[in-house]
Amino acid sequence: MHALIEEARARVDGAELHWHRRRSTTVNYQNYQLQGVSEEELSSVALRVIDHGRTGTAFGIFPDGACLLYDAVAAAAHGDPATFAFAGPARYPAVENGDPATADLDSAVLVERCESIVRRVRNELPAIALRAHAEAETDHRVIETTSGAAGENCTSGLSIAFGAPFKGVGVGVYKSARSTSPFWVDDSLIEEFVEWYRWGDVTSTPSTGRLPILLAPDAAYLLLLPLLFGLSGNAVRKGTSPLIDRVEERILSEALTIVDNPLRAGDPESRPFDDEGVPCARRVLVKNGLLKGFILDLESAAALDQPPTGNGLKRALFGSGTELPPTPWFVNPEVEPGATPWRQMLTTLDEGLLITGGMGFHSGNYPQGHFAVQAIGFHVRSGRVVGRLDQTMISGNIYHDLLRVRAVSAERRPCAAGLLSGGLAPFILIDSMQVTGR
Amino acid sequence: MKDRLTSLVTGLPADYADLRYEENRKIRITYQGRELTQISSTTGGGGHVRAYAGGGKAIASFSDPDAATSTARRTCASARIVGRMRECPLRLADAPAIVERFSLSPKRDPRSIPLSEKLELLAHYNRILLEEPRVITTQSEYDEFASSRMFINSEGTMIEYELLNVGVYGMIVAKKGDVVQRVRFAYGGNDDFSRLVGREDELRDEVARACELLDAKPARSGICPVVLDPSEAGVFIHEAFGHLSEADGLQNNPSFRERLSVGTTVGRSLLNVADDPTIPGYPGSYEIDDEGVRGRRTELIHAGVLVGRLHSRETAAEFGEPLSGNMRAVDAVFTPIVRMSNISIEPGTSTFDEMVGSIDNGYYLVGAKGGQTAGDQFTFGAQWGFCIRSGRIGPMVRDINMSGELFSTLRNISMIGDDMEFGERGGCGKGSPMQLNRKSGKGAPHIKIDAVTIGGV
Repeated sequence: MHALIEEARARVDGAELHWHRRRSTTVNYQNYQLQGVSEEELSSVALRVIDHGRTGTAFGIFPDGACLLYDAVAAAAHGDPATFAFAGPARYPAVENGDPATADLDSAVLVERCESIVRRVRNELPAIALRAHAEAETDHRVIETTSGAAGENCTSGLSIAFGAPFKGVGVGVYKSARSTSPFWVDDSLIEEFVEWYRWGDVTSTPSTGRLPILLAPDAAYLLLLPLLFGLSGNAVRKGTSPLIDRVEERILSEALTIVDNPLRAGDPESRPFDDEGVPCARRVLVKNGLLKGFILDLESAAALDQPPTGNGLKRALFGSGTELPPTPWFVNPEVEPGATPWRQMLTTLDEGLLITGGMGFHSGNYPQGHFAVQAIGFHVRSGRVVGRLDQTMISGNIYHDLLRVRAVSAERRPCAAGLLSGGLAPFILIDSMQVTGR
Repeated sequence: MKDRLTSLVTGLPADYADLRYEENRKIRITYQGRELTQISSTTGGGGHVRAYAGGGKAIASFSDPDAATSTARRTCASARIVGRMRECPLRLADAPAIVERFSLSPKRDPRSIPLSEKLELLAHYNRILLEEPRVITTQSEYDEFASSRMFINSEGTMIEYELLNVGVYGMIVAKKGDVVQRVRFAYGGNDDFSRLVGREDELRDEVARACELLDAKPARSGICPVVLDPSEAGVFIHEAFGHLSEADGLQNNPSFRERLSVGTTVGRSLLNVADDPTIPGYPGSYEIDDEGVRGRRTELIHAGVLVGRLHSRETAAEFGEPLSGNMRAVDAVFTPIVRMSNISIEPGTSTFDEMVGSIDNGYYLVGAKGGQTAGDQFTFGAQWGFCIRSGRIGPMVRDINMSGELFSTLRNISMIGDDMEFGERGGCGKGSPMQLNRKSGKGAPHIKIDAVTIGGV
C-alpha cells in the first residue's frame, strides 16, 4: 500500500490511505447446541485525496490500487474545497491492545470456552434456550498520509457473550466479557446471569409516573450515545449540539465524570491513533458534571479552530467500516466509579426500575438528549426485584434527568451491549425518570 | 472465474456447499448543510462460502479470490466438527437446481448516468432544503449500490444475477430557540433513477413539516388508541410481526416457536398480511435469493390466522414448511439470513375519517422514524403526530415513540383503511454482525390500534 501513497503523492495535493485487515473466528451456540462456525478474512482500503484543493474518497475491498486513485481523483473533481489538512508526522503512544495468544485461538478452543458456559448454565437452568457466542479476532490497521503520518497497529480480542430470552418472549438476560488475552468466563458472571434470569420468571408493570432508575452498565448507551452526539465537533459546528457554549457549565450530575480513554490496557478497542492518523489520548469530557470539552476529527477541528482530539473514527450509529467517512466518535468512553456497591443501591429503592436495556433508542431525538424507549429490566419494590418489566416505557432527556443522580456504583463493567462497541460504566442510580406503565 | 469456482464447489468434501462471489460498486454523495462532506465510489469483490457436512454447518467470508480454495476446504472441515457436536443434524430442504442469468432492465439505469448529474440533483435538492432559514443543517445523501453476483452450489445451481438500488435520502434539521426537530425523507428505493427526479414539491412539504414541529408540544405518555398512517403501519407490521415471521429467529427458541404455530389466531378476521418479492419496483423486489431459491409471494396472516412463514432451506427443512426464497445477504462480507422482502398489510374497508371519528382521546401518528423489536416486544418512532380529541384531528405533537407487545397489539387492530401505500425507504437492520439492508419494502393502509403505550413527557 505504500506504493499507492507514493503514486498519490506524485499526482494529487495530498492523500490519506487507510488499510484494514480483519481476521476472525466465531463459534455460535443456539438453544444449548453448537450451531455453526464462521470465519472472516477481509481486507479493505480507503483513499482520501485533496486534488486541486478539493476532497474526494474511494474505497475498495481487495481493490486495484490504480483504480482506487482514479476513483478518488474523479470524486475530487466534484468535491467541496478542502477545509483541513491530512495528519502530519506524530509520535503515537504505546497501547497494550494485542496478545499473540489470542490471535492463535482456533474454533476448537472457542468451542471449549462456550461448552464451559453451557455446562454451568445447564446445571441451573436446563429448560432455557441458551445462546453463547465466542469470537477471536485480530484487527490490523495501517494509516499513511502524504503529510507524513504513518501508523500501524495490530489489536487482538476475545469476546464471549451468552444469554437467553425469557420463556415465550423475545427479551431476556445477556452477559458478555472481552479482553485482549485469552480468558474463561468467571463463575460470578454465570451466577449473576442465573440470578437475573430467575428474576424474570414473573412479570411486573409499574404504575405510570416518575420513579427512580438504577441504570445498569449494559444500558449505559442510553446516557453515552446522546452525550456523544452532543459532544461531537460536527454537531457543534453545525449548530445542532445542545452543548454549544456550555463548556465549564453543569450538564450532568456532579456525581458523573466521563472520560474517553483510548489507551486503556487490555481492551481490544484501545488504539494509539484514530482513523485519520491523529494520536489518541485520554481526555476528561465531563468532570463532576461540568462540561470540559468536545471530541473532534480533523474537519471539525479545523472548522472550530482547535486541535483534533484523536477521535476521527470510521463509525456510524449501527457499525463501523473502512468505507465510512471519519466522524467524531468515542474510542473507549468510561464513566468513573463511585463508592457504593450496586446491590446496596438496589436495596434503597422503595419502588424503582433496574434498567438493563432500552428498545427503540434510535427512533428518538437522541442528538438533543431525548429518549423514549421500551424499558428492558426489572421492577423493584421494597429494595427487592419483584419481576421483569412488561409493557413499560421510560422517557426523558439526559440533560434534565441526569442532573439528579443519587449514587454511582463502585463496580464497573464493559458497556458492550447495544450500540456502543466499547466502554466501561458503573451502575447509576438516577433520582427519577418518567415511566409509562400501568 | 466461473469455471474455476464451479469446479471448486463441486469438488468440496461436503454434503452440500455453495459459494457466492460478488463484484460490487457503491456511489455515495453526502451533503451536511452546505458542505459536500462525501463523494465516494467503492469497488471491490469478495466471496462467501457455506458448507454442510456431517450434520454441521460452517461459513466463511473472504476478500482475496485466491483464498477461495483454502477457505472453502477449511470451512468443510469446520462443518464436520460442528456436526460431531450436534444432537440434531442440520438439513436442507430440497430445492430445484437452477442454471440461469437474471438481468435487470431499469427504466433509467443509474449506472449509465454521469456522477456530475447525480451530484447536481442532490445539490439542487439540498439547496431547496436550505432556503428555509429555520433549517440549520441537512443530511442529504445519494446512495447507489450495484452488485453483480454469481451463486454456485454443489447440486448444480449456477446463477448470475444483479442487484441495483438507488435512492436519495436525508434529514432536515430545524431549530427554534432550544427546540431542534428532525424530519426524514426518502425517494427512490429501486433500480430506476427517474424516480428520484421531480420531487421538489414534496421536499418543500417536508421542510414545512419540520418547521411546524418546532411549535408542536411533546406527546404525553400514556396508553391510548392510535391511527397509524401507511408509513407507520408499514413499519409496525415489519418490526412487530414481520421479524417473527422470519423462521431463523424462531428456529432455536422452542417456547416462542410454539406460540407461533401455523394455524394460530393472531388477529381479528380483518387482518391479512403477505410478503412478496415478485411485485416489481419496490425496495424489496427480486427474482432470486442469495441461496439460489426463487422468490415468491408468501401469505403470512389470512383473516387473522397465521398461515405462513419466511424460510431458508435449512429452516424450511426443520419446520417442514415450503421454501419461500427469503435468504439474503447485504454483501460478500455477510452470510445470507432470512429476511422479509416487501411485507404489507392488505387494504380493508374503513375510511380515514371513520377511524379518526371513532377515537375520543388518542393520536394520529405519521411518518416512520425507525423501530426495534425483540421477539414479541416492539418500539418505534413517528416523525410527527396529531392529537385526536372527540373524533377530530387536533394540534400537532412531536417526540413520539410507541411500544407494545405483538400479540395483544395485533388483536387490537380494529380498523384497516381502504387505502394502500408502499414506502420508498427500504431499510432493516438484522443479524450479528448487523446487516443493514436497503432492499426491504413495507406497505400498508391506515390502521387503527385500540391501545398502545406512548412514551412522552
